[in-house]
Amino acid sequence: MFRNLLNTLPYQEQCHTSVLDRLILFMSVMIILSLSGCDGEEPIDEPDNQSAKIRISFSHLIDDQPIDFDTLKYVNEAGNPYMVNEIQYFISDVTLFRNDGFARIIDDWKDIHYVDTDLPATQTWEVYDKIEPGTYDSIAFTFGIVPEKNISFMFVNPPEKDMFWPEYLGGGYHYMKLNGKWLPEGQTVQTIPFDFHLGRGQVYFSYPDSITGFIDNQFNVSLPASGFHLNSGETKEIEMIMHVEKWFKDPHVYDHDVFGGYIMQNQEAMLMVKENGHNVFTVKIKD
Amino acid sequence: MQFLNDNRNILYSFGIIIFLIALAACTRNDEPELTPVHQATPYTFEIPPGFPTMLNIPEDNPLTLEGIELGRYLFYDTRLAGRADEGKFMTCASCHIQENGFVIGMPRPHPYGLDGDSTHHAMLPLINLVWNPGTYGWNGSVPSIEEDVRAVITDPTEFNSSPEAVVEAIQNISGYPELFEKAFGSREVTLDRIARAIAQFVRTLISSNSKFDRYLRGEIQLTQSELKGFVLFTTEEGADCFHCHGGAGNPLFTTHKFYNNGKDTLFTDPADRYSITGDPMDRGAYKASTLRNIEFTAPYMNDGRFNTLDEVIEFYSHHLLWSPYIDPLMHHIANGGTQLTPSEKTDLKAFLLTLSDTTFINNPKFGKPEKFPDEP
Repeated sequence: MFRNLLNTLPYQEQCHTSVLDRLILFMSVMIILSLSGCDGEEPIDEPDNQSAKIRISFSHLIDDQPIDFDTLKYVNEAGNPYMVNEIQYFISDVTLFRNDGFARIIDDWKDIHYVDTDLPATQTWEVYDKIEPGTYDSIAFTFGIVPEKNISFMFVNPPEKDMFWPEYLGGGYHYMKLNGKWLPEGQTVQTIPFDFHLGRGQVYFSYPDSITGFIDNQFNVSLPASGFHLNSGETKEIEMIMHVEKWFKDPHVYDHDVFGGYIMQNQEAMLMVKENGHNVFTVKIKD
Repeated sequence: MQFLNDNRNILYSFGIIIFLIALAACTRNDEPELTPVHQATPYTFEIPPGFPTMLNIPEDNPLTLEGIELGRYLFYDTRLAGRADEGKFMTCASCHIQENGFVIGMPRPHPYGLDGDSTHHAMLPLINLVWNPGTYGWNGSVPSIEEDVRAVITDPTEFNSSPEAVVEAIQNISGYPELFEKAFGSREVTLDRIARAIAQFVRTLISSNSKFDRYLRGEIQLTQSELKGFVLFTTEEGADCFHCHGGAGNPLFTTHKFYNNGKDTLFTDPADRYSITGDPMDRGAYKASTLRNIEFTAPYMNDGRFNTLDEVIEFYSHHLLWSPYIDPLMHHIANGGTQLTPSEKTDLKAFLLTLSDTTFINNPKFGKPEKFPDEP
C-alpha cells in the first residue's frame, strides 16, 4: 500500500521519492548493521585489516626437556641435585622493536602478566592490544615489574595478590617464586626446600636491625632470535620458554648449599638471580 | 522507465521487509521480561578496603535480605535436624558458635553429632567464606556452602537425619512458609532452598575490623611488640607465616591453598588433600586456615592437636618434622623450625592477637535471633 501510494504521486514528487528510496535503503542498512547490538553481546575484539594480534604462551624446561615436577632428577651447575615444585612469576612491559626505531610497548594495564605452572590458564596470554602489522626485529620484556608500577595493594584478587612482597622488605610484589627442594651435600635422602624468590632487596645498616634502603631487582630481557613479520588480520603465536637450569648457571654458579632455602632478605643472592636471568628465556615464533 | 519503476518497487518492498524484520528483532529482545510474582530485595555487599573484589556467590543464589534473614533463622533453629520428635535438637549453630569464630571451641576439639559420633576433622571457622574459591573443608572437597549444608543433614557425625525429615520439620513450623515465600517466591520448603538460605547467611559473615585492620586503615598504631610480631610474621628469616597465611597484601590471612606443614612423618588420614587430588605431594596436606580471629578458634590444625596459640608457635619454632611431602615453602625444616626466641614468640603471639575482631564475634546481625518465626 505504501508503494502504491508512492506511485500515485506526481513526477515532481516522484523525484523526491528517489530521496525517499535512498532514505529507506539507508535506514534498512543501518538497522541491519545495528542488529548485532540488539542482542546485548559485546563485539569480539578481533584484529582488523589494519592491525594484528599476538598470543604469548609460556613453557618451562630443564635441560631442554619439559619439567618433571616434584621429582629429584636434576643437577644444577653447582652439583646440587634438585627438583622443582612450582614456578610463579610476572613479566611486564613486553616491547616489540622495529629496525626503523619504532618500539611498540604493549601498554595496557594488562601488560603485567602472571604465570603459574600450577594454573594452565595463566600460561597463555591473549595480548589485549591490537598491534601494527609489519616486520619486527626483536622482543624484549621486563622480568618482574618496574618500580613505578610495582605498587603494593594493586592486586586484590588471587592469584596475583598472593605474590605480595611484605612492606618491611620493600613492598610491591614478588617478581618470581621458584619453589623446589635440593639434596644438601652429605645427605642421601633428606631434601630441603629452597624458595628461590626474587623481588625488592634491602640495604641493611646493621644487619638485621636496620634497613636503610631498597633495591629494585627487576631486569630487562632481550629475547634472542625474536624477529617476526606480522600480517594484517593475523594473530601471531609466540612461545616464551624459561630454561630453569640457567637461573643457577651463568654468569654466577648458584649453590644451594651456600645460599640455603630462602633469599628474600639476601640481596647478594638476589643480585645473582637477577644477573643470571639475562639468558633464562628464549622464544619460538610460530609461522 | 517501467524497469526502473519495477526495480524501485522491489527496493521499496525489500526496504520495508528489512525494516520490519529489524524492528521485530529488536522488539523481541527489548520486550519487557515477565514481571516475577515475587522479587526479593537484593543485598548490597560492601567489600572492605583491600579485600578481593571477586566474590564466590553462585549465580543461582544471589544474596537477598529475605534469604539472609531466613538463613539466619535456620542457622540457629535447633529443630532444623528434623529429629525434635526424638527429643534431639541440632542445627548449624550447635557447633558453629559465634563467640568462637563459629567453631565449637574448647574443650570439644572434635564436635560430635546427634548420635554421638565425632567428625573426622576438627572445625574450620566460618569467616569470610564468600572469598573461598570453592574448596571448602580441610581437604577442599566441598565445592560450595550449599553442598556442605546438604551433606551435614545426612552425615552420621552430624545431623544423621534425612532431607525429608528436615523439610517436613521446617514446613510444619508456623512462620517459616511465609519466610520462604518472601525469600524464594512460594511457601514451599525444599532442601535446596534451606541450603541456599543458610549459605546466603554464611556469606555475610565478614570479619574486617580487627585491630590490624584499623592499623592498616591508619586509625590506630600497634604496640612495639605487635609491630615486631608483624615483622616476624612477614619475613623469611623470622617466622615466615605470610607465604601461606597472607598479610597486609592478602587480608584474608589465607591463600586457600593446601600445605603439608611438617606435623607428621607418616600419613594415614584417608581425608587429606591427597585423597582428593591423588597427587603424592599432597599427602598430609591441609588447607591453611584463616588466621583471622585465631584467638577464638582453638583447637588448631586439622586434627585439633594444639589447644593454644603458644603450642602452635612452639611447634613451628622447634618441632617441625621432615617428610618427602613437606611443602617447599617450609624451608625452616632445615633447622627443625623457625627457632624463635622466647621474646620473639611473645611478639608473634601479640601480632596474632591483633587479628581478633570483637565486632565480628559480637555482631548481633550474626547472632541468634531474638525469637523464631513461630514465636509471638
